[in-house]
Amino acid sequence: MAAQNPGTELDLSWISKIQVNQPAVLRRAEQIQARRTVKKEWQAAWLLKAVTFIDLTTLSGDDTSSNIQRLCYKAKYPIREDLLKALNMHDKDITTAAVCVYPARVCDAVKALKAAGCTIPVASVATGFPAAQTHLKTRLEEIRLAVEDGAMEIDVVINRTLVLTGQWEGSDFIKTSTGKETVNATFPVAIVMLRAIRDFFWKTGNKVGFKPAGGIRSAKDSLAWLSLIKEELGDEWLKPELFRIGASTLLSDIERQIYHHVTGRYAAYHDLPMC
Amino acid sequence: MAATRAGTRAREIFTSLEYGPVPESHACALAWLDTQDRCLGHYVNGKWLKPEHRNSVPCQDPITGENLASCLQAQAEDVAAAAEASRTALENWSGLPGASRAQHLTRLAKMIQKHQRLLWTLESLVTGRAVREVRDRDVPLAQQLLQYYAVQAHIQEEALAGWEPMGVIGLILPPMFSFLEMMWRICPALAVGCTVVVLVPLGSPTPLLLAQLAGELGSFPGILNMISGPASLGPVLASQPGVQKVVFCGAVEGGLRLLIQESVWDETMRRLQARMGCLRGGRGLDGAVDMGARGAAAHALAQRYVCEAQSQGAQVFQAGDVPSDSPFFPPTLISDLPPASPCTQAEVPWPLVVASPFRTAKEALAMANGTPRGGSASVWSERLGQALDLGYRLQMGTVWINAHGLRDPAVPTGGCKESGSSWHGGLDGLYEYLRPSGTPAWLPYLSENLNYDIFGLAVPSTLPAGSETGPGPAPPFGLFVGGRFQAPGARSSRPIQDSHGNLHGYVAEGGAKDIRGAVEAAHQAAPGWVGQSPGTRAALLWALAAALERRESTLVSRLERQGVELKAAKAEVELSVRRLRAWGARSQTQGHSLQVAELRGPVLRLREPLGVLAIVCPDEWPLLAFVSLLAPALAYGNTVVLVPSGTCPFPALEVCQDMATLLPVGLVNVVTGDRDHLTRCLALHQDVQALWYFGSAQGSQFVEWASAGNLKPVWVNRGYRRAWDQEAEGAGSELELRAARTKSLWLPMGD
Repeated sequence: MAAQNPGTELDLSWISKIQVNQPAVLRRAEQIQARRTVKKEWQAAWLLKAVTFIDLTTLSGDDTSSNIQRLCYKAKYPIREDLLKALNMHDKDITTAAVCVYPARVCDAVKALKAAGCTIPVASVATGFPAAQTHLKTRLEEIRLAVEDGAMEIDVVINRTLVLTGQWEGSDFIKTSTGKETVNATFPVAIVMLRAIRDFFWKTGNKVGFKPAGGIRSAKDSLAWLSLIKEELGDEWLKPELFRIGASTLLSDIERQIYHHVTGRYAAYHDLPMC
Repeated sequence: MAATRAGTRAREIFTSLEYGPVPESHACALAWLDTQDRCLGHYVNGKWLKPEHRNSVPCQDPITGENLASCLQAQAEDVAAAAEASRTALENWSGLPGASRAQHLTRLAKMIQKHQRLLWTLESLVTGRAVREVRDRDVPLAQQLLQYYAVQAHIQEEALAGWEPMGVIGLILPPMFSFLEMMWRICPALAVGCTVVVLVPLGSPTPLLLAQLAGELGSFPGILNMISGPASLGPVLASQPGVQKVVFCGAVEGGLRLLIQESVWDETMRRLQARMGCLRGGRGLDGAVDMGARGAAAHALAQRYVCEAQSQGAQVFQAGDVPSDSPFFPPTLISDLPPASPCTQAEVPWPLVVASPFRTAKEALAMANGTPRGGSASVWSERLGQALDLGYRLQMGTVWINAHGLRDPAVPTGGCKESGSSWHGGLDGLYEYLRPSGTPAWLPYLSENLNYDIFGLAVPSTLPAGSETGPGPAPPFGLFVGGRFQAPGARSSRPIQDSHGNLHGYVAEGGAKDIRGAVEAAHQAAPGWVGQSPGTRAALLWALAAALERRESTLVSRLERQGVELKAAKAEVELSVRRLRAWGARSQTQGHSLQVAELRGPVLRLREPLGVLAIVCPDEWPLLAFVSLLAPALAYGNTVVLVPSGTCPFPALEVCQDMATLLPVGLVNVVTGDRDHLTRCLALHQDVQALWYFGSAQGSQFVEWASAGNLKPVWVNRGYRRAWDQEAEGAGSELELRAARTKSLWLPMGD
C-alpha cells in the first residue's frame, strides 16, 4: 500500500462544517447506479480491473491453513487462464490486490503465497476485529504480531467510542465498515466518505484510500463501485494503492461474467475453480 | 469457441478505464414508424388520418440528421375534423360517471406500461434527449399522472360537486417539448370529462403514438385527437366551434440561473466545474449519457448566447472537448456577466448555466424576484430558517428547498408573472378544465369591430346636470385612494342619475393618473397586508362587516334611490355583511400540505396573494357584488384597486368611509369614472398583477387582449350577468381559486 497520509494538524472546524443533504445523496446514489453502466468489451475490461482491486477475504471462525492456501492460490490465479488468453490479457499479471485474513492466519497466508511464487501482500484485520472493544495495549500488540508474521497491511477497527465522542483518528485508507455489520457498504454512505476524501485532498494534497467492504457480491455491484470512484474522485483513485474492494464471493461472480463474455454461455458451477 | 467473441480492445480499456457506448436499440421505434410507411399523419377519432395533397415535413434524428419519417402538415379542415371528433366524443365522455372515466384512464396507464419501451425509444430517438431521463422519469410519471387523475375522476361527483367539464380543450405544444408536458395537461382534462385536440409541432411522433395507444383501447376513440401542424394553426384551433379553452406551453427545458453567496463563490464554482467535467454528453439513445442533443436550432441558440456573453465580458467555462461541428453542446457555465448586459436580462438557453454572486439573502431575493419569469426555483442552504423564508418570499410557482426538479402528480405546478397563471397537477390542475355548473359555454366569438387602439381611450366630457338636492344627505365625493378621499387629477366630475332620471349626485372622474396613484398606494400597502396573519385579516373583515351593519340605513336608502325595493335593499345589505364574515372565516383555512411518493417530507401547497388586484365591479348589485369581490381578494392578502358599479357607485363610496378608519392605508382604493377608460388604464398597467372585469362583452375582450402585455391573470364575464345573490356564483369556490395563486414548497427531509 503505497499511499501514506502524512497527517495534518487536527482542525475540528473541518468536521463541524460538514453538512450532508441526505435526500440529495440518496438521489445521487441512485443515479450513478442507473446512469453508468458498461457493456461488452468495456464490461470485461472493467471487471478484470475490478479483480485487481479485490482484497480477497476470508474471515471465518473455522479458517484453517487448507482453505487459506486455496484462497491464496485463487488470489494469484483469479480468472481461468484460457479466458484471459481469449481476451488477450494473459500477460497482464492479473491478481487480486491482497488477501485478507485474521491475524492468526497471516502465517499460513504468507507461506502459501510464497509457495505460489507471488508478491501479493497479506492484509490482516487486527485490533480486536470486528468490535475493537479490547484494550489499547492488546490491540497494539495484535498489530505488532501480525506484522511480525509478515502482514503488509493492517485493517484497523477504530475505537468507535472515541469517534462518537468527537475524538478522531487519522488514516491512510478509510473503510466503509468491518463487513460484519448488519448494514455494510452502501452507496449513500460511500458518497459521503468519498467527498470527505476529496475535500481532504483539495485542502492538503494528500490522497486517502477507500475500501468498501461487506455485501459486494455481484459483478454488477463491483462495476457500480468503480463508476462511483471514477465519478466522485476521478481516474487517479482507480488503482490498488487507493481503492480496494473487500469481498469473498465477488470474485467467482466476476469470473462467471467473464466466462459468459468470452464464450457466450453461462457457466455451470463446476466450470470454474472454487476459492 | 473462445477468442471469437472477445474483443481486442479490452487491453486498452483495462488501462484507460474509459466508459463505452451503451446503445439502446431503437429497432422497435423504427418498426413502429414502418407500420405507418414512414409517413405520419394525424390521429383523429381513433384512426389515422392521412389526407391527400398536404405538404410534408421530415422528422429527423437530431443527431445524425437522418430522415426517420415524413409528417403531413395539417390544414384548417384537418383541425376542423379533429374538433368535430372531439365535440362528438364529448357528449358520451362527459356524461359518463366519473368511475367509468377512471377505469378508462387506468386502462390507458396499463397500455403505456405495456408499450413503454417503444415509447421511450421513440421519444429519445426523435428528441435527442437522454434515454434514461425518458425511461426512468417521464414514462413512470406519465403512468402516475394517469393513475392520479383516474382516482380524482373516481371521486369527482362528491369532490367536485358544483363544477362541470368545460368541453373541448385545445392544446398547443411548442417545438421543443417532452411528451410528459402534454400528459400534465391532457390527464386532468380527460379525467374531468373534457375531450382534447392537441396541435403537435411537426416532426414529433410521440404524441401521435400516445393517441394511437389511447385509440386502441377501443371505446371512446374521439376523446384525444392529435393534429400535426405549425403553430400558425393555433388561431384556427381556437376558433373551432365548441373549443372552450386553449392551453399552450412554452419550451420546457431552459438553462439555469445560479445565485451563489460571495463567501462560498470560489468553493462552489470549483465543485460545480469538477462535477460538470464528469457529465457525459452523447447520443440520447445511450444508456450512460447524461445529456443528449436538442437539434441544430437549440445548438445555435446556445452558441449565440455564449458568443454574446463573451463579447459582453463574461467568463465561459465549458466542460470537455466537444468539436465545434458536433451536434452536442457541452455543459457550459457562464460567470462575471455585467449586471446590466443584455445577456443578464435574456432567457438562458439549454444547456447553459449563468452564475452570479450575491452578498446577502435579501439581495439574492431581489435578484431572483427581479425577472419577469416566475416558474420555479430552488434554495440551497443548511440554514433552514433562512431557506424557508426565501422559499416563502420567492415569487415562483414551485420552490424546492435543498432539492431541484422534483415533480409529482399530486403537486400543483404553476407559475406567476410571465411564466403563466395556470396549474398542472394536483387538484389545481383539475380546476383548469372545469367551470362552475350552470355557467354558459363560451362561444368562440370575437367582435371584429372592437378597435383595441381606441377602446376607452377618450373620456366623454361631463357637464353640470341640474340640481343636486334630493332626499338624504349628499353622497361622499372623491376618489378613495391611499386611505382618504382625494380630488381626481382631471378635476372634473360625472353626474349619476337615480332610477327616476333625477340627479343622485356627482362622483369624481378618475383617469390614468389616478389609476397610477391608486396602484402605487396598493403596492405600498402590500408588504404590510401580506405579512398579516389570517387571524388579523379575518378580524378586519369582521370589523368591516360590523361597520356595514351600522351603516345599513344609509346603504338601503342609496339602493332604494337606484330603484331597489326596500325589502330587497335590506336583504342586499344583510347578505353583504354575511359575505364579509364568511370570507373572514375562510381566510383562516388556507393551504395544506401534501404527501408525495419518493420523498420523505411534506410538500406545502401555499395559497399566496396575487399582489395588486384590480377589480372592475358589475353595474348590477352595486353593494353586494362590490363586497362579494372585495372580501375574497382581501381575505387572501391581496391589495385592491377597484372600480365600483358605474350606474350606482354610491354604496361602495359609503363603505369607503368606514374603510378609511378601519383598514390600513392603501389596502383598498376605489376609483370612479368612465368604466371603459379606467378598465383600459388597469389592463395596460404592467404592475397590476391580476384583473377581474365584470362588464360588457367588448370590455372583456379588450381586457383579455390588453392584459397579455404582462400575462396577468384575468377573469372576465364576457358580458354575462352573474347571480351575485346565489351562494355558488356570489361566494363559491371559484372566487377562492381566483383570489390567490398556488405555490408548491417542497421540503425534503433527511437525517
